[in-house]
Amino acid sequence: MALVSDLTTKILFETEKGYSYQCDLTNSIIINFVDTVSSYKIHDFLIFQRKVNNVDILNMLYDLSDKSDAQLIETTKRNFSRNLTICEIVQLRELLNGTKFTLNLHSMLCNILKVELI
Amino acid sequence: MKDLLRTSTSLIEGIENILNLQAKIESDASNKYLAMAAWLDRNGFDNTASYMYKQAEEEREHFLKVFRYITDMGGIAVTPSVPEVQQEFASFREVFEIALQNEIAVTQAINKVIAKCRAENDYATEDFMMWYVAEQREEEKNARRALELFELINENEATGKFELDLQISKIG
Repeated sequence: MALVSDLTTKILFETEKGYSYQCDLTNSIIINFVDTVSSYKIHDFLIFQRKVNNVDILNMLYDLSDKSDAQLIETTKRNFSRNLTICEIVQLRELLNGTKFTLNLHSMLCNILKVELI
Repeated sequence: MKDLLRTSTSLIEGIENILNLQAKIESDASNKYLAMAAWLDRNGFDNTASYMYKQAEEEREHFLKVFRYITDMGGIAVTPSVPEVQQEFASFREVFEIALQNEIAVTQAINKVIAKCRAENDYATEDFMMWYVAEQREEEKNARRALELFELINENEATGKFELDLQISKIG
């Protein structure tokens, strides 16, 4: 069960709707959101996160037409392609932004610790 | 756990954002010069039109230089959108007044990038941006010289506009 313990130590962020973790073997970020698992290289993850953050939720809320009830969210290389409701977009945002925060925090700590070592 | 962020890029997000903004400013400047060149061309100022076409090319090179720097450093370069630019000008002189204002705005933007680099201790990007500082010094000088020529040559005299068209194209 070494793999499971590896996974739990590398969990980056967890919400009610999913979790994310880092795979050091493939240098990837794995996102598990409402049972959809997708894997990203760091650049693709950052592009995905920005894309989800750039969805105009206010516009979706005020637009009363049916087409604004959900939006197709697709990522680079199409490893995530889903029609998400406003609520799901907010939940995905929470997961992705939390993941990014942990990555930044980890990077900051590594930077400080390396300086300390030198 | 590996530091995936740092191993993939040497640019922090704040620097990457401001560099993308700078790329957009340079790209917009290229389009503004292109519109000026077209206006000059259709109003008979052949020489200054060529000068402005050259300026548009130069600004595009400046844009590509920042754009490539972002990707070379492992960042995410965002292709800038193309906004509407001013197509019509009130006079020959106004073209160069606007050109100078644009150059001043670009210089201020570059200064902001360098200030940000210093705040974030990003000396590599600061070093890269110093090329732009020298370039802007030259660009502003040329734009001012063009307006100076309007003071020296009366554009309302018989051959004034013709002479200005000739002399401005020799700047730089």
